[in-house]
Amino acid sequence: MTTLTIDIPVLETERLFLREPRLSDLDAIVAFGMSDRTEFVGGKLEPWQSWNVLNAAIGHWINRGFGWWVLEDKATGAVAGRAGIGYHLDWPEPELGWHIYDGFEGKGLAYEAALAARDHANRHFGLGPLISLIAHGNTRSRRLAERLGAKIETEDFQIRGTPCMIYRHPQVAV
Amino acid sequence: MTADLTTARLTLRMPDARDHASYSAFFADAEASRFYGGPLLPYQAWERLAADIGHFMLKGFGRFVIEKDGQVIGGCGILDVDGWPGHELTWWLLPAARGQGIAQEASRAVLAWAGTELGWPRVETHFRDENTAARRLTESLGGTKQRRETFPDGIDRDIYAMPTTEKVSA
Repeated sequence: MTTLTIDIPVLETERLFLREPRLSDLDAIVAFGMSDRTEFVGGKLEPWQSWNVLNAAIGHWINRGFGWWVLEDKATGAVAGRAGIGYHLDWPEPELGWHIYDGFEGKGLAYEAALAARDHANRHFGLGPLISLIAHGNTRSRRLAERLGAKIETEDFQIRGTPCMIYRHPQVAV
Repeated sequence: MTADLTTARLTLRMPDARDHASYSAFFADAEASRFYGGPLLPYQAWERLAADIGHFMLKGFGRFVIEKDGQVIGGCGILDVDGWPGHELTWWLLPAARGQGIAQEASRAVLAWAGTELGWPRVETHFRDENTAARRLTESLGGTKQRRETFPDGIDRDIYAMPTTEKVSA
């Protein structure tokens, strides 16, 4: 008998739950994939590609023991975005990342989520100090990385052919 | 959650991280993977594997890997992409594993499992018109054409249904 279990911790912040991806999150993930908000994170995706993103997000937790959470807005239950630790096959090391969906930007939610994810990764996943890979033109993400205390480590990195910078985050003392 | 399926020659089990080499080898082969969205780079094959693993968690069924003599030689199972016209019995085989009736043997095990474990009376599949191997295999499994639809990728495909209640000739 093969069994598969998955243990994704739920993190709570002032305004968010960071929780496991669910089938019911698909519409929000598809809408993000078709939006201009993907400009700095790989570009637009067809709905079926976003379907694979949702599936692979769960597979990532199983394969790596950590991954990206869905950000649930506590006030409304809506999906506000996704954030977490991604370590894809071709990634230099585990990365702290965040996507904020339409209607939820400009409220500091990405900061709240990234801080909680980073803290959890440092304390419980044995990861860190973490990096964030950020495209040069992605000024909002760069500002957030700097607000999180991350420092530029490399200006001229490339991931999947796209130039980006490596930011290095501070580590929570465990 | 999902038990292994066994046939005379094969074991079908849920995919896991160990299967990356097999996925990479299959998807690196442009000819072998042309009906599967290939060729893919290794990191893309890794995402595909992760998606296949996640599918089992989200849907309760998915695409197994096929082991023969302890080696992974392909995959077979049911995928259901939300937003597409139907679910799909699907199989892939490394080139060296073809021509031995393995896709049919694995498919029969999956159909039987869909009938007994999922409680489905029938399983659908679809394929491109030029994929004559898939059509032949589907017909050998008792599949009959149900309808034709335009898929989100703009390609028209026939949709077939196969009964799950056929006696399994393992």
